[in-house]
Amino acid sequence: MNRREFFKISWGTVGLAALVSGVGVSLAAVIRFLMPSVFYEPPQSFKIGEPGDFPFGPPTFLVDEKIFVFRDREKGFAVASAVCTHLGCTVAHFSSDQRFHCPCHGSVFAADGSVQHGPAPRALDWFEVTMARDGKLLVNKDKVVPPNYRLMV
Amino acid sequence: MNLIREIWQSIVRRDPLSTDKGKSELVFLNVWLHIHPAKVKKENMKFRHTFYLGFITFFLFLILLTTGIALMVYYRPYPAQAYQDMKDLQFAVFMGTFLRNMHRWAAHGMVICVFLHMCRVFYTGSYKKPRQFNWVIGVLLLLLTLSLSFTGYLLPWDQLAYWAITVGTNIGSYAPLIGGQLRELLLGGHSVGEGALIRFYVLHVAVLPAAMILLTIVHFWRVRKDGGLSRPVWKLKGKKEELVVIGAPAVAVPMQASATSKDKTYGLMEVVSGKPIFETVTPEEEEDTVFSYPYAFVREAVVLMATVTTIMTMSLFLNAPLEELANPARTPNPAKAPWYFLGLQELVSHSAFLGGVVAPALMVLALLAIPYLDRNPSRRPGDRKLILWLFTIFVVANLALIIVGTFFRGPGWALVPPWVHVVGGAE
Ligand code: HEM
Ligand code: FES
Repeated sequence: MNRREFFKISWGTVGLAALVSGVGVSLAAVIRFLMPSVFYEPPQSFKIGEPGDFPFGPPTFLVDEKIFVFRDREKGFAVASAVCTHLGCTVAHFSSDQRFHCPCHGSVFAADGSVQHGPAPRALDWFEVTMARDGKLLVNKDKVVPPNYRLMV
Repeated sequence: MNLIREIWQSIVRRDPLSTDKGKSELVFLNVWLHIHPAKVKKENMKFRHTFYLGFITFFLFLILLTTGIALMVYYRPYPAQAYQDMKDLQFAVFMGTFLRNMHRWAAHGMVICVFLHMCRVFYTGSYKKPRQFNWVIGVLLLLLTLSLSFTGYLLPWDQLAYWAITVGTNIGSYAPLIGGQLRELLLGGHSVGEGALIRFYVLHVAVLPAAMILLTIVHFWRVRKDGGLSRPVWKLKGKKEELVVIGAPAVAVPMQASATSKDKTYGLMEVVSGKPIFETVTPEEEEDTVFSYPYAFVREAVVLMATVTTIMTMSLFLNAPLEELANPARTPNPAKAPWYFLGLQELVSHSAFLGGVVAPALMVLALLAIPYLDRNPSRRPGDRKLILWLFTIFVVANLALIIVGTFFRGPGWALVPPWVHVVGGAE
């Protein structure tokens, strides 16, 4: 290799490296740009009202939060997710058979949320529900609890 | 009079079309027409070879571009406005319904025609050497067509739109490792909301059409550079008859094997180099050759007018559906994706990961790989029995899944034949 070739190869390598890293960094920056830093979405933890707002018997469906609030005389409060674990459709609770039915691909969940039928890969989530200082029920969707979790009031 | 003639000459700059020179110059000197060769082979332009499906697809795309730009004038991509603007288009804007119908029916038509075009190319073996790469470009165009449909589907912000996109994007989240992030990237949030609407809008009106236009140009350029349209199957004779040689003269040794005539009008490049570098032609093919003007142009114009007329007529009588305003709390039962994704939804109803990720990924990979896996050089159907059967099974399976998903799935995705009327559904 003579001097000339040496410079050609080294400059070529430097140039190529600059190009590749430039493109790589730009690409990473673009992807990061597309990833929102702030979500203007409802908070994951929210108050749903006083215990007295919820009747005994069939669960109350909260539309915006997409949750079912169960209130049982002996056992207390429990909150189930209404979002099907398959592809995110909103499930309905049928009081006739005490199960959750998904309209999209026919998943059926038992009363405790476990999958009985259909393509859903896992049970419906149950969320933590606690009593806030002001006496209101506080649901935290970031805290998934076992189906037998109950809040007694 | 002289001035008028001078102005006209300054625009067209060619000899009269009654002369051969004029016919050639019409193509050479016009930036829009010169994607065509000056001469085409009559047989290759036969309806029963291509069914003009590629052209129809392209013309539908032109309809989509023009009507789409018109719709943009009234459409605002925010959840609070989008649905209202659709209603305005339906009831307040002059010709709004008609334009919306045209956009909708052309979009459905494009999905159908691009698929049929792919089938035509497959069954005629037109993806074989030297056209392998143009098939790959074609598969990308197919995916772009589907993506454009999918992103457009959300824009009316009605129940259908909202739930189809909720289900559709959730399929993506089953992709291993990156699935969740991919969905977040696409939606700009954790669920379909205002972030998703503006992102889909940007994809639908800017990013994807731009990609489509660029790739379409490449697609057409390649058709031309691959030696024009393939020879119709019925014109293929003995095994060694396919003489098309593409590339620089260095690799074009087989060229000598054919009796090329010396005085043919070739493309500009051939004129420059004094010999045909892109294609060799048998005397029989030579005989079949005519000027593109008027032979090809008239045919293309007829297909264009037929396409536009069909879409316009449909749009006069059939209205694009618009359901009620999107309601995140209430999933319609059954919630169905757009019809061309119902095969996918049917698969997904059995397993989200296998049906929604693995199967489509394999299908796309298989399509992309076809020209490189199929090593059989012959294009004659008799020599390709196995692969023709395989492809037919692929097509029929896809159609069957779509038909089941469209007509045989009722509330709760239960199997319900279309002739059974379900009253009220479940609930
Ligand atoms: C937006 C979508 C597309 C448009 C606008 C388009 C347009 C065209 C046009 C106008 C032709 C000329 C011949 C004809 O009319 O058939 C053509 C040929 C061709 N197309 Fe497409 N196409 C599209 C998608 C595809 C797809 C999905 C494939 C395959 C996967 C494909 C593969 C080919 C090949 C290999 C040729 C050359 C065929 C031959 O030489 O006979 N294209 N295309
Ligand atoms: S989304 Fe519930 S079964 Fe598919």
